[in-house]
Amino acid sequence: MKDRKVVCRCEDLTEEDIIKAIEEGYDDLESLKRYTGATTGPCQGKGCLMHLIRILSQKTGKKPEEIGVTTQRQPVNPVPLYVLAEGEYE
Amino acid sequence: MSELKVAVIGGGIAGLSAAYFLAKSGAEVEVFEQRYLLYGASGRNSGGLTVQFNDEELIKLALRSLDLYDELQSEVKFNFLLRKDGYLKIANKNDEAKLESEASLLKKFGVKIEILNQNEVKELVPDINTKAFDLAYYFSKGGTVFPWPVIWGLARGCKALGVKVYDYTPATVVVENGSVKGVQTLDGLHKADFVINAAGAWSNEVSKSAGVELDNKIFKENICVTESLRPYLDPYIFDVSNNAYLSQSMRGEIVGGVVGREIDQIDKKGELDPLIRYAKFATNLIPKLKGLSVLRQWVGVYDLGKNGKPVIGFTKVKGFVQLNGFGRHGMSLGLAAGEKVAEMVLKK
Repeated sequence: MKDRKVVCRCEDLTEEDIIKAIEEGYDDLESLKRYTGATTGPCQGKGCLMHLIRILSQKTGKKPEEIGVTTQRQPVNPVPLYVLAEGEYE
Repeated sequence: MSELKVAVIGGGIAGLSAAYFLAKSGAEVEVFEQRYLLYGASGRNSGGLTVQFNDEELIKLALRSLDLYDELQSEVKFNFLLRKDGYLKIANKNDEAKLESEASLLKKFGVKIEILNQNEVKELVPDINTKAFDLAYYFSKGGTVFPWPVIWGLARGCKALGVKVYDYTPATVVVENGSVKGVQTLDGLHKADFVINAAGAWSNEVSKSAGVELDNKIFKENICVTESLRPYLDPYIFDVSNNAYLSQSMRGEIVGGVVGREIDQIDKKGELDPLIRYAKFATNLIPKLKGLSVLRQWVGVYDLGKNGKPVIGFTKVKGFVQLNGFGRHGMSLGLAAGEKVAEMVLKK
């Protein structure tokens, strides 16, 4: 157990899980994100995105600049529905 | 068997379904996806599955699609994360005639739509605010699917049959003397006897490259997800009068949004207004959801045939086939439409 390297706490993913997905062919960042679920949990990638990019870079030989980052989506931090419901719209 | 060569532009549900059925019958198929699989509407929708349409053709496609989900997920050995826990349309009194005519049309096909009273809806969704609607039409065999594994599973099934699926490969149609010659990508010409345009919101441009007028309308829709809850909400709920919807995915997130609006140019920028409208709708419909946080909001774009219906079939250019314009209902219609186009091409 002590060898397990957890890279995404929200979705409970280890480095091995990510490597397996890359080996299955999900070897671009957008596909890897969706197939593993990494960056889609409560942290929205704040804790795991850099690990994903690092592992992808090590496995594929691509530079981090070539890999890029996933689309950053709003909200920056989780916002409860009752707060949003107080807003006004046109 | 045959030497039939087919190029499919668009790696979404319709294109992959067509590719799968063509390859199963021995055709040599290549699929061209301009970005990654899931980039288009097949990767950005909320996964509602229903047959509750006011049109015979759509009902037939939707009924067949529901069967195909079951068949295909065992054939391609991939779990689609599909729950047939019902599809509930709610509305206020003003929309009664609309729902009535839909229900009576469905009756012709032997599809049972149950008209539920407030108490019956409460049995289905215990925390629902029964003051938020007047009418409820329930299709018990509809449900919710996670769109991503559907696409991965289809792509896997295609590859197992020898289909080449190219991602990050934009393609245009090459026509000579009124017949398709194939598709052009950055690495050259891929010859094909048939080219299927399954490019969703990008279908107008693909069609233009073949010299065929299409004129599908383009829509933009904002959707969001909340934190995950344990399985809690069975049916997919669509509010006809508020044009808003929500459901719970198999990952536990509450997924929902408000119906999109027509746009002139494809744009994927998230917007606050639809999110506020959705939050008002969701917290009014199921007040207990109010403390739940929205984690992420995104935009999907989709196309709808100019007469409000999908565009499926041959064109004036020999070998150029349309398979697009599904509007908000690609997940409910796409599998059967893909199968239908495959049959049409094989018969030709």
